[in-house]
Amino acid sequence: MKTNRKKYIAGILMAICLLLMTGKQSMAQFTESYLYNLSSFTGVVPYSWATLSCDEWQNEVYVVYQNLVTVFNENGMEVHSFGDSLDIGHILDVAVEENGDILLLAYNDLKSSVTRSNYRGEPKEEIKLKDLPEEFAKMHANRIAYRDGKIYLASEAQMQIVVVDATGRFVKGFDLITIFGLEEKDRTDAGFSGFNLDKNGNMLFTVPVLFTANILSPDGEIVSFGKPGGAPGKFNIVVGIVADSQGNYLVADKLKSAIIVFDKDLNFIKEFGYRGEKPGNLIAPESLTIDSEDRLYVSQGRKKGVSVFKLIHE
Amino acid sequence: MRNTKKLYITAACAGLLTLGFTGSAFAFHSGGVAECGGCHSMHSPAAGGTFLLVGTDQSSTCLSCHEHAGDTGPSSYHISTADADMPSGVAPLQRTPGGDFGWLKKDYSFTVRGTLNTEAGETHGHNIIAVDKGYSVDTENATAPGGTFPSNQLACNSCHDPHGKYRRLADGTISRTGAPIIGSGSYNTSAAPAAGAAVGVYRLLAGAGYTKDGVTYNGVPAAKVPSSYNQTELTNQVRTAYGVASAGGHSTWSNWCSTCHPNMHSSGNMVHPVDQGLGSSVATLYGQYVKSGDMTGTAASSFLSLAPFATNSSDYTALAALAKNDNTALAGPGSSDQVMCLSCHRAHASGFEYMLRWNNEGEFITQNGVWPGIDNGASVQFARGRTEAEMRAAYYDRPATTFATFQRVLCNKCHAQD
Repeated sequence: MKTNRKKYIAGILMAICLLLMTGKQSMAQFTESYLYNLSSFTGVVPYSWATLSCDEWQNEVYVVYQNLVTVFNENGMEVHSFGDSLDIGHILDVAVEENGDILLLAYNDLKSSVTRSNYRGEPKEEIKLKDLPEEFAKMHANRIAYRDGKIYLASEAQMQIVVVDATGRFVKGFDLITIFGLEEKDRTDAGFSGFNLDKNGNMLFTVPVLFTANILSPDGEIVSFGKPGGAPGKFNIVVGIVADSQGNYLVADKLKSAIIVFDKDLNFIKEFGYRGEKPGNLIAPESLTIDSEDRLYVSQGRKKGVSVFKLIHE
Repeated sequence: MRNTKKLYITAACAGLLTLGFTGSAFAFHSGGVAECGGCHSMHSPAAGGTFLLVGTDQSSTCLSCHEHAGDTGPSSYHISTADADMPSGVAPLQRTPGGDFGWLKKDYSFTVRGTLNTEAGETHGHNIIAVDKGYSVDTENATAPGGTFPSNQLACNSCHDPHGKYRRLADGTISRTGAPIIGSGSYNTSAAPAAGAAVGVYRLLAGAGYTKDGVTYNGVPAAKVPSSYNQTELTNQVRTAYGVASAGGHSTWSNWCSTCHPNMHSSGNMVHPVDQGLGSSVATLYGQYVKSGDMTGTAASSFLSLAPFATNSSDYTALAALAKNDNTALAGPGSSDQVMCLSCHRAHASGFEYMLRWNNEGEFITQNGVWPGIDNGASVQFARGRTEAEMRAAYYDRPATTFATFQRVLCNKCHAQD
């Protein structure tokens, strides 16, 4: 009996050691370093909750703010801007194709449109959506993403995502109300945020009112994670989400003013940022994007602009 | 991974079931106090903040959910448009009955007869202070007009009880305790509380005994709103059914506003009356008025959400029947229905000075059959620096053709002097 007890205690101690080691290993595997804020030649650009996207081939970041698209190079300096003189409506979001063409998602006269422009932002053609099933015909997208020849359009308010090919022909649609098993009456009160793609074409988004981050596979399987709360690793108001090169998920919590990091198995790793005025602090982060060098771009409020962090995996 | 997934799906289902029993899956407030962790943190609140709030200040905390960058139009419970979505010439996007706080950021300037005029955005509404969201203290009024409430303390929780303690019990009275709150009481679809239960008061408004910075409310006003209330009024009007109740913890609407603005419309000041019956003369004019020069209307379809009135009823079931967003309840007022502050003003903000529901700074609100704008050749004094689209948005997207070719200000809806 005594021997059994000793074995039991030893087992527990070993388990605790293993847990601690695993935890330390996770902590050691991921660190971040604040680099700078996106700037022009006159200093930090004082955006409030600009929308971000990344050209992962050129490692340039695109910032959409008040109908102006501004391009920053990998050193965080403004190199180009366009959009204010375009007659395509209010520009909501952009995505970049492999060849440098830019997909501009705009909203005008109560409907959204997609325009393909060259790398300078000069319109080449409007991409008309074709063969949309009836349930997606009234979708007004406010987010756009691109991967492997497919254009992803998302309506955060309507809880729908549509995938079309490069010519605008319908490929697949996802109605998140159906996927989550919710009722139609909940559609407008639910909503999602932070639409992004990972490198495998999984769709990432958060549902702030459910306090969850979500991974939607191309074949429609959903994985949700997150719990409400103020403790580290828990969610207040989650918005942006991206995946880094190692498959870690980074979730922006705009009320907590932090970036919450989970590993690829959805284990909480750490938080960073936090409200404040010091370099690396964040004020209500919202939109996120990440480039191929694991530079994380974080859009903030209170005219704090876009902070850039380098993610380091050791 | 599969186990994790199962676990999360199970947790999500359990969560949804739990929420489902409370009446609304996504309400968050559910008529009362919300999840504590949505606004407070026990261990990591904002440095230098108060009440363990996670946000910089109270209003920034509220707007974390009630404003969302990237909206393309009216979006459910959003009551403010983000800076990113309001470039010059573009109006705020939300169309809630209270109005979009984004109008506070829309400054306009225009030159009339050689004189440069500036219309500051801060004249468009209640200047809540939400540092994170770019809303700052009123620079013109140190205190509430007609009162002593300090402007540098104005926040969402000046008018709304963030913890939603006030509740309507089964007997219709308002209390801070007495029965658990089972859900919101604001909507036309909200269930009436059964014995032993309660619902939240309209919009978590402050009630009797709620004190903020030297002022104390003496009751909660009665109202109901359609469950889907944030929508363009291009085709259908959104009718908020304001009621008249003063007993059992209630307050009439303007009496409630006067908590902060006691001298604004007090009796004996020779000012426009509030919380008084319209009388048969005004009620008849309201029913007949269609537009300038057109008095051929019928009372049954005369309601105009740009000039609403309080229905003389404290019956929430009756109010719920009037709270519609599909033009199915457009009956005009009876003689005992009342004029109130909200007959002319929006509660949050509007596209016009003094948070009025229409532009009162000129004789016409339409010109040559269109909404006047700086981009359609309209007179400068009527466009007042706005584009036609901005002006239309300020009228909740109504076609200008709803009104007369040269429509006079909407004081005439009741007074018909045009």
